[in-house]
Amino acid sequence: MREMTYLEAIRTALWEEMERDSNVFVLGEDIARLGGAFGVTAGFRDRFGDDRVVDTPIAETAIVGAAVGAAALGKRPVAEMQFIDFISCGFDQVVNVAATFRYRSGGQVSMPIVVRGPSGGYVGGSLYHSQQFEAWFYHVPGLKIALPATAEDAYGLMKAAVRDNNPVLFYEHKFLYRRIKGNIPSPETDFIVPLGEASIPRKGDDLTIVTYGAMVHFALDAAKALEQENISVEVIDLRTIKPLDMKTVLESVRKTNRVMVLHEAPKTGGVGGDIAARIAEEAFMDLDAPIARVAARDSFVPFAEPLEKYVLPSVDEIIETARRLHKF
Amino acid sequence: MSAKLKNRAETEEDQQAAPSYRDQLTKDDLLEMYRRMWLARLFDETLYDLKKKGRLRRGNVYGSRGQEAILVGTTYPLRAHDFVSPIHRDMPAFHFKGMPLEQVMAQVWGKATAPTRGKDSWSHMGDISLGLIHSTSMLGSTVPVACGAAWALKLDGKGDSVVLTYNGEGATATGAFHEGANFAGVHKLPLILVIENNQYAYSTPLELNVPTGRVADRAIGYGMPGIVVDGNDVLAVYDETYHAFERARRGDGPTLIECVTYRVQGHADHDETRARQYRPVEEIEEWEAKDPLPRFRNYLLGTGNFSEAELPEPPPEVVRQIHDAVEIAINSPDPEPATAMEDIYDESAGVSR
Repeated sequence: MREMTYLEAIRTALWEEMERDSNVFVLGEDIARLGGAFGVTAGFRDRFGDDRVVDTPIAETAIVGAAVGAAALGKRPVAEMQFIDFISCGFDQVVNVAATFRYRSGGQVSMPIVVRGPSGGYVGGSLYHSQQFEAWFYHVPGLKIALPATAEDAYGLMKAAVRDNNPVLFYEHKFLYRRIKGNIPSPETDFIVPLGEASIPRKGDDLTIVTYGAMVHFALDAAKALEQENISVEVIDLRTIKPLDMKTVLESVRKTNRVMVLHEAPKTGGVGGDIAARIAEEAFMDLDAPIARVAARDSFVPFAEPLEKYVLPSVDEIIETARRLHKF
Repeated sequence: MSAKLKNRAETEEDQQAAPSYRDQLTKDDLLEMYRRMWLARLFDETLYDLKKKGRLRRGNVYGSRGQEAILVGTTYPLRAHDFVSPIHRDMPAFHFKGMPLEQVMAQVWGKATAPTRGKDSWSHMGDISLGLIHSTSMLGSTVPVACGAAWALKLDGKGDSVVLTYNGEGATATGAFHEGANFAGVHKLPLILVIENNQYAYSTPLELNVPTGRVADRAIGYGMPGIVVDGNDVLAVYDETYHAFERARRGDGPTLIECVTYRVQGHADHDETRARQYRPVEEIEEWEAKDPLPRFRNYLLGTGNFSEAELPEPPPEVVRQIHDAVEIAINSPDPEPATAMEDIYDESAGVSR
């Protein structure tokens, strides 16, 4: 076991995958000479050289597109978006080129690319360095989406993402980068976390919170507080929203009969709406209360602290919603 | 350096600097090129005709009439281990790079035997094993993909392989084209950007997509030579493409070749009437007279090495080839409906643990 931060866990997973497989290479802005804006690829250039650690122009379309072309010829590229917000500049390559490639190749071509980068708010990053727009891509067939909440999962999911034969969007949470640590298994164990399997970081009986990413920690904090009020909360960490582990969600809902779907992204058109609809379709008769959604307000992520706090979900809001659900 | 980056067609001196690779072509090569130009012409004529007769069921026909010299001149230097990404007016190029003609036709008819198994239409296909890279409808977006393919070849130490992409002059206005060309220039990738400047992007004239009216002018900003060549002269296109190949193989990086031609047809078969309204008919007629097929034939006859009989119009075996491919495609099975849900994901385990 090795104790490391969430960020170090991602760096270590990438490093080990590059050591293991010479087809794996990384490309992005400032990732070679600088080692990445957050230092995820620090030291990579010295070890793996310029051909496998590529400083690109500021051009997300070219970055994702080059990853696609290399993958079509058998490579396993990992493309960094300096901030995941900038994926919008490479949107066409993600949704029209990468996601569709296998389909329009009639099954001939695999598309093992990872597009990764820091996402999320709570750090004063303002509009373009705080977004959590996974819902844009949730709608697109052919993609997978991972949003790890813990250092262990960041490590294990990254390994799974690199080894997967499909395009995986990997949402790292910058709020968690250096705030949390975990015990990472040694490389010899070849530990991975499969894409599409939720975890249950807290068991409970009275209500279920379905969430992912940094919100897992908010849910756990709320659950701890609610314990004082004798409300027993089960927290499900989806880990990946695509594939979506509805089996684990439904099992929990059938046990607790009350459910809250929680995410950091704006509520309208968010992934939570779809998860709520699936629960309603599959387990309506098991529900003792309406499905609740807690999400960001339908605004942008503003800069000033009072504004950001107003827009993004809070532990208090989760607690309030849980009380309401419990009383219903 | 600056002299090298000049548009070659600008001065006589630069024009002479283009080596005459055509001199190395044998009589058989020239006959094959002639045959291929006719194949491209008949591919186009046959599909236009069948579309008119209602035998295509669905989909548009994007014609390549008048662009045959580009298709043949740019693909003739390609070898098995080179890569190419044809777009909508380059259907015959799939065949020239090794895809059986009946498979190209099966794609037109959306058959189960098509490379996309009926999932995508027309030119949105490829076959990596043949060096054919799939493009999309988002024109220009294949340039970054081609860069990635070139990068993969570099990682594999396959420095002798070259990637060639086609774009119209209109697509050079996209951000994707710019980002890809810039990436290729920065990293000196073995890429050839063939621009089929046929003067119109659907109805939009050249000057509304390219402010200088010269696509090759863009090249200097990407640190690559920008060559202008007569796109209706198959051997001139061949020479320039071959030259760009030599450069790429030497590790000197990418080249942009602007092949100047004209879209004598509409944007697609549905556009034939309007295409004679949004531009002067005299302009169309002027370019129809520059048809690359008789031009190449007259050149070959002028060399004194070919008899009239050696250059039939069209070569009967090509007529047969097209006819047979159409028949095979039409009689091939349609895809099973449920296969629409296959190949969205690669369900295999990926890399083994």
